[in-house]
Amino acid sequence: MAETDFKTWQCRTCGYIYDEAEGDEGEGLAPGTRWADIPDAWICPLCGTPKSDFDMIEM
Amino acid sequence: MRIDQDIAETIVDPNAYAAGTPIDDAFKTLRKEAPLAIAEPKGIDPFWVVTKFDDIQLIERQNELFHNGDRAAVLTTIEADKMVRDMMGGSPHLVRSLVQMDNPDHMAYRRLTQAWFLHQNIKKLEPRIREIARSFIDRMAAFGTECDFARDVAFLYPLHVIMEILGVPESDEPKMLKLTQELFGAADPEMNRTGTTDQGTEAGVNAIAETVGEFIEYFNALTEDRRANPRDDVSSVIANGQINGEPLDHFAAMSYYIIAATAGHDTTSHTTAEGLWALCDNPGELAKLKADPSLINGHIEESIRWTTAVKHFMRTATEDTEVAGQKIAKGDWLMLCYQSGNRDEDHFDDPFAYRVDRDPNKHVAFGYGAHVCLGQHLARMEMRILWEELLPRLDSIELNGAPERMKSSFVCGPKSVPVTFKMN
Repeated sequence: MAETDFKTWQCRTCGYIYDEAEGDEGEGLAPGTRWADIPDAWICPLCGTPKSDFDMIEM
Repeated sequence: MRIDQDIAETIVDPNAYAAGTPIDDAFKTLRKEAPLAIAEPKGIDPFWVVTKFDDIQLIERQNELFHNGDRAAVLTTIEADKMVRDMMGGSPHLVRSLVQMDNPDHMAYRRLTQAWFLHQNIKKLEPRIREIARSFIDRMAAFGTECDFARDVAFLYPLHVIMEILGVPESDEPKMLKLTQELFGAADPEMNRTGTTDQGTEAGVNAIAETVGEFIEYFNALTEDRRANPRDDVSSVIANGQINGEPLDHFAAMSYYIIAATAGHDTTSHTTAEGLWALCDNPGELAKLKADPSLINGHIEESIRWTTAVKHFMRTATEDTEVAGQKIAKGDWLMLCYQSGNRDEDHFDDPFAYRVDRDPNKHVAFGYGAHVCLGQHLARMEMRILWEELLPRLDSIELNGAPERMKSSFVCGPKSVPVTFKMN
């Protein structure tokens, strides 16, 4: 998959952004980790909102 | 389990938060010996003291089980609580902002301005905020070799940013700063209206009510203006906002302005001032930061954890439940001690060390769950811009006397950070 296909997801509660291209080192998510590959039990690192309450956004 | 009386009195004492060490020592003892236990300070209804990071997060995530608005959202005396309820027709709150709301109102009112404070919107403000930051750094340089970093820079820069976002004219900023300091510095004779330590008494409550009244008078006029002449500012969003097809409840709208015009700058100011204080106390960390500006975000996060400008919020249990092996009854009042959570030895390695490269650094300074700070992204952006602009111009800086924090068990940070410096 091309790098441009990376998507960005945002927490509905606090606005935390997960960018697939960058990943989130603090969460143990390496750059390039796809949203679909993050476990369903994962929660927002800033506010604890469930993964299901994130929206895909255009930055 | 009941907390030792001396410690119970310390954790409600504004002077202990101002001094720093007494409150850290009290929480250190509680985390070790009574991490979730009942305090009964004189003149205050008994409440649970929540000191551990994980317990604070657990409670904050369950916002239906632990309400903000059922009882006072901030620690208050029995006398003050009765007075407020008499004044407010039974409600324990002098204002009704997001902090005092629960669902469904909380979610509806939060959604109203949330988009304004998201990355994708505030990034457009970055060039203007950088201009403002540069103007305050020029102002610092104009002082020559010494200034009070808290009073001359840190109090004023976030104030100017949030007032531009609200659309409040610069000429009114001193009034907004004064009213904010009266509200959050209600226990500090140098900040409050009475010039006494009367917080929690009739005189103290009346003084806070007068401050709230002045805010409401000001924002009533602003609302009228924004209804007639809407602009691209947060005040226009509040003035013209609708929930379920109806304009905002007037009192809730006034409270919305008040929280934006107070919490929207004061906590960032405290964190900026205390962050510089910490760098002066830890010259090795300052040298690291100057040598590697990629650590600026680490310094910001550490300054947020270190300062923990909001010391507590209260929650009320809506059902009988259990936390950390303790039975909490419906109606019990709980004090979420963020400063304690942010020094929790089970969560942070060497928590009493200031480290600009601390990683991981997940803290609870902005709260957690549905009530997590709405303005956290703006606060981080303001601080990043300030440090990006200030550090390259700073040849040297050190304390020029003893810094001083305001006396408060609620929102607390430095009121004075005297420094001597060389700038280029």
